[in-house]
Amino acid sequence: MIASNGRIADGGFRVGVGLQKAWGLHMATAFFFGEAGAGLYFVSQFFDFLLGMGVGLLMVLFGKAGGHLLHLGQPLRGWRALTKVRTSWVSRGLAAIVVFVAAGALHVVDVDADVLPAAASQLVAAVALLSCFVIMVYQGFAMSHSSAITLWSGGLMPIASLTYALLNGVLLTLVLGFDAPFLADHPDTVRLLQVAAVALMLYGLVTVLSLLHGARHGSEAGRQSVSLLLHGGFARWFVPLVLLLGFVVSALTMLVAPPDFAWMLAVAGLELTGYYAFRVLMFKAGSYDPAISFAYRFRH
Amino acid sequence: MAKWGMVFDLRRCIGCNACAVACKQENSLPDGVFFTKTLSEEVGEFPQVTRTYVPTICNHCEDAPCERVCPTGATYARPDGIVMVDRDKCIGCGTCIVACPYDQRTRLEPEMLRQGLFGGGRLTPFEEQGLTRFTVGTVVKCTFCHERVDAGLQPACVATCPTEARIFGDLDDPASRPRQLIQERRGRQPLPEKNTNPRVFYID
Repeated sequence: MIASNGRIADGGFRVGVGLQKAWGLHMATAFFFGEAGAGLYFVSQFFDFLLGMGVGLLMVLFGKAGGHLLHLGQPLRGWRALTKVRTSWVSRGLAAIVVFVAAGALHVVDVDADVLPAAASQLVAAVALLSCFVIMVYQGFAMSHSSAITLWSGGLMPIASLTYALLNGVLLTLVLGFDAPFLADHPDTVRLLQVAAVALMLYGLVTVLSLLHGARHGSEAGRQSVSLLLHGGFARWFVPLVLLLGFVVSALTMLVAPPDFAWMLAVAGLELTGYYAFRVLMFKAGSYDPAISFAYRFRH
Repeated sequence: MAKWGMVFDLRRCIGCNACAVACKQENSLPDGVFFTKTLSEEVGEFPQVTRTYVPTICNHCEDAPCERVCPTGATYARPDGIVMVDRDKCIGCGTCIVACPYDQRTRLEPEMLRQGLFGGGRLTPFEEQGLTRFTVGTVVKCTFCHERVDAGLQPACVATCPTEARIFGDLDDPASRPRQLIQERRGRQPLPEKNTNPRVFYID
């Protein structure tokens, strides 16, 4: 029998892999609303779909910013997070949120009431779209930047963020804009968005599996994280919700679904459930390597 | 200017955790907060099984990821290399906690500062005066007992260690004891693959 580490130490006085607990449900909720809201706004702006842009803005403003404020230990000092844009992805993200809410709201008003001259209108639209794009990817960079947690640091996290954000955006646009003229009068556009959703689901599935594959072979902590997600305590949530409901079932449903509101709503519900589970479980399964261990040397 | 660092002699450490107790006392650390711990691990294959002890502490990394990711500049390095947290700037976002590969940072939750170490839900006079140095919701970590170091003393854990398993000194001084031990006994840094260049070394 080999006495070795490889176990979860979990804050005790034992050498082993430690689970991170600094980022939890509030951060997961903020990330969820950030990528869903920004994705919805991003897709809606291409169609000048006012309801989608408005809802996307509100999701980012209240869902994302609210989740972050609930998470902060000192929320009244939150403005200070704008001061290190050069080095911190959290700072960059906050700056993007501020710019996005301002430019996005101005653009929504402009689309509705035509208040800006043409050049200014285009500039505001471009700024809103750019800051929206930053929100869609920065959360992935903020996680990926943490070399401490192998599950997050593989480099695929920003791609997963972007894929999920676009997927959420496409599905929410299909639901919210189902009766809007840009979809109701153009069945080809509906079909195009459906095909895009299926393609993004497949791409997202491969990205998440690659992320797990990289972490599995990255370090002891990465191996433990993946084991928790696929075989351990989180497997009963991760496999059925994130992999099956979030990608496989929703892609198959989208492929066979008739262009009907109830079906679009069902697919969006399935995918968003999987996505929220992904965000929560990525935080819960994130773990640190032991600073130093002798078990490996004994074993080999 | 000195560059402070520490060496852990794993042959000498007996796992008594007197260092952890001294640290808690020196820094008036609340319930559940440790700036240093001595971890234990059973290794080997029966019948050749042994237990090893691994002291851990903030490594005051030269390229500290906690400092880089901090969105407010609350985490900063002093000229002598000691990595500090400015509690008036910290917003408690926890980004530094997930960025530290050594899991050496703690966010102070309200219940930590409310309940004392001795039960009954009341603070002792010692705790009452000690906890004033903390702000709820902010992140805390080891500072190498910077007030003691500035006064020419050793950190509390080093002064307390009964086996002299912790050796503290100026890593830039070729004549200093930690520097000589690192050279003579090929000191190694924890998790060197993380590229943080820790100022804490292990020798065995």
